[in-house]
Amino acid sequence: MIISLDPRVNRAAIEADNNIEPLKDLDQWETYEVFHQKRRGDQHMHVGIVHAPNAEMALIFGKEQFGRRGLSVNIWVVKTSDVFTTEYDDSDIFETVPEKQYREAGGYKVMDKINKYKKGL
Amino acid sequence: MYGNAYIDPNDKAAMMLAGEDPQKLAEFEARIARGEKIEPKDWMPKEYRKQLIRMIEQHGHSEIIGALPEGTWITRAPGFRRKLALMAKVQDEVGHAQLLYSAAETLGKSREAMINDLITGKSKYSNVFNYPAYTWADACIIAWLIDAGAIINQVANAKGSYGPYCRALDRICTEESFHLKYGHDNVVTLATGTPKQRELVQAALTRWWPPIMHFFGPSDKISNHTEVLMRWKVKMATNDDMRQQFLNMYVPKIWDLGLTLPDPNLKKNDAGKWDYTEPDWEEFKRVINGGGPCNAERLAVRRNAEERGRWVREALNTAESKYIAPLA
Amino acid sequence: MNTEAIKELLYKMADDLLIIGHRNSEWTGLGPILEEDISFSSMAQDKIGQSQALYVLLHELGEQEPDTVAFTRNANQFHNAQLLELPNGEYDFSLIRHFLYDHADQLRFEALANSSYEPLAKVARKVKGELKYHVFHANTWVTKLGSANAESHARMQAALNHAWNYALGMFEHSTHEDILIAENIFIGEDSLQDKWLSNISAVLLKAGLSIPSSDTWNPVLGGRKGLHTEHLGPLVEEMSEVFRYDPTAEW
Repeated sequence: MIISLDPRVNRAAIEADNNIEPLKDLDQWETYEVFHQKRRGDQHMHVGIVHAPNAEMALIFGKEQFGRRGLSVNIWVVKTSDVFTTEYDDSDIFETVPEKQYREAGGYKVMDKINKYKKGL
Repeated sequence: MYGNAYIDPNDKAAMMLAGEDPQKLAEFEARIARGEKIEPKDWMPKEYRKQLIRMIEQHGHSEIIGALPEGTWITRAPGFRRKLALMAKVQDEVGHAQLLYSAAETLGKSREAMINDLITGKSKYSNVFNYPAYTWADACIIAWLIDAGAIINQVANAKGSYGPYCRALDRICTEESFHLKYGHDNVVTLATGTPKQRELVQAALTRWWPPIMHFFGPSDKISNHTEVLMRWKVKMATNDDMRQQFLNMYVPKIWDLGLTLPDPNLKKNDAGKWDYTEPDWEEFKRVINGGGPCNAERLAVRRNAEERGRWVREALNTAESKYIAPLA
Repeated sequence: MNTEAIKELLYKMADDLLIIGHRNSEWTGLGPILEEDISFSSMAQDKIGQSQALYVLLHELGEQEPDTVAFTRNANQFHNAQLLELPNGEYDFSLIRHFLYDHADQLRFEALANSSYEPLAKVARKVKGELKYHVFHANTWVTKLGSANAESHARMQAALNHAWNYALGMFEHSTHEDILIAENIFIGEDSLQDKWLSNISAVLLKAGLSIPSSDTWNPVLGGRKGLHTEHLGPLVEEMSEVFRYDPTAEW
């Protein structure tokens, strides 16, 4: 029997050679991705994961693991297995040629024309 | 609360890169050199994955086992302020284990496998937690100085190359700053309190000094292996550098309180470095290998907790659930 | 306003919260899974924080400092219901106790939000969000485990049976019951118990768990008057251990 300085351990009456069966796959349940909103009006942001057996518990757990210091007003959870992602190997699909000024605000410079027009008046 | 990864010195550097695609390896190293992070599904050398899993997992184990020595005092913390703070602190350690295991999972090792390796003794955790917290003052010294050491390590590792580990550490470091303040406040209260309190805290400090000096591990053997791990930003500082940083930051604060440290050779030398008596590394090895005062208890308690919770976890498992590694 | 009646009400509430907070805190680091460990610890912290707020009200009514009152009394000076001092046992009992107590606690504070004793009404309004989470947590766990598999159902039912008469003891009458009701300080234990029965019955039905048949009901009374099981003494000893080491010190 373990004799401990911790009264909790003594109350549990634990054998020192308490070999146990290893945990089986999914013993710790599946994972949910957790998103939280810091303030009303903000986007929800990914903050991490929780292991949970169902969505309600994922919400209960997510609230405490990621919002216990009052930094959230709302959270979402979604099963990790339900999330579709692009591959980092394909991150070059986000690269694009720089000649796409037509869809940037900076691509439109009208002051030259206005000034020229004013001078001509 | 964690010192450093215990890296097996027998791993041969020459073996570690065998069979890796040279072009992919070059791209990987270039990415790290540019200061970019590696993300879970990126190509990575086998050795990088292996060392990170080992390090993050050990870190996670250290948090969950680290909850035990301080947990010893949860039912006895004196007064509302101390009791609430200690509960919140130990809770944070459990939260850190959750964050770290999650980060390690992204590298392909399940939480079940990590817990199994912990409870069978296959996987290590920080050696300091194999020492007992005899008195309330021991819990206070842990909260201040062990957490202080952990912060030095974690701040360094938060600048490492693996994205999920860095993100977990950023969050952990924010919480650790509360732990450090809490621990310091406790030690100051005892050291500036009644003669009995001073005596209590001095005795605890004297007991904890050798494990604290062990905390960052023995001097690194500067091998090719260590160099590669540092180039890959897996290991961010040498054990000796971290120990020096710790001594530099905390020895003056300890002396400020009029407390003494049980090492007559401890002093800052002319070069600005700290001299100290070489810690007993034989003792360190003996404890790591199971011979410490609390190794058996820590693992037995952990096994007991897993076993008592098993029916709860099994009951809620559903046939349709499936495990895939967390995304990030 | 009748100060004695208010003090008695505050003492039993504060002691309930302190003792269950203390018991629940024993799970910290030892819970069935990391995520639940964190959630359960948060609720234990809430409970102890709430008890502190009530000891502060008592102090304002002339009682000693909250730390002195909470950490240095003897077991027979505590007014908590015996349900709350029982050892944690396994997680089934801890969850059932949390469920039975938190439903009562939520309803009690809900009623007190309209109390004519404004300082207590203020505390009651402040803790509303915490209690809502506690009840949500308890309901979810009890519902899921009550109906998950044969073992979990049997364990939860056995825990409910074991806790039941102790739980009824939470509604032990105050000696000032009539005054509390007449002065609109509190709705009284009988009304509280009725509301509580109706709330928990709905959840237990969903969980597939049955309340023991009413002919076996036999409330365990005495806690409110300082009568306790053998488990409270050691708990209180532990709480004061460090204080006793040097009673002159500030910790």
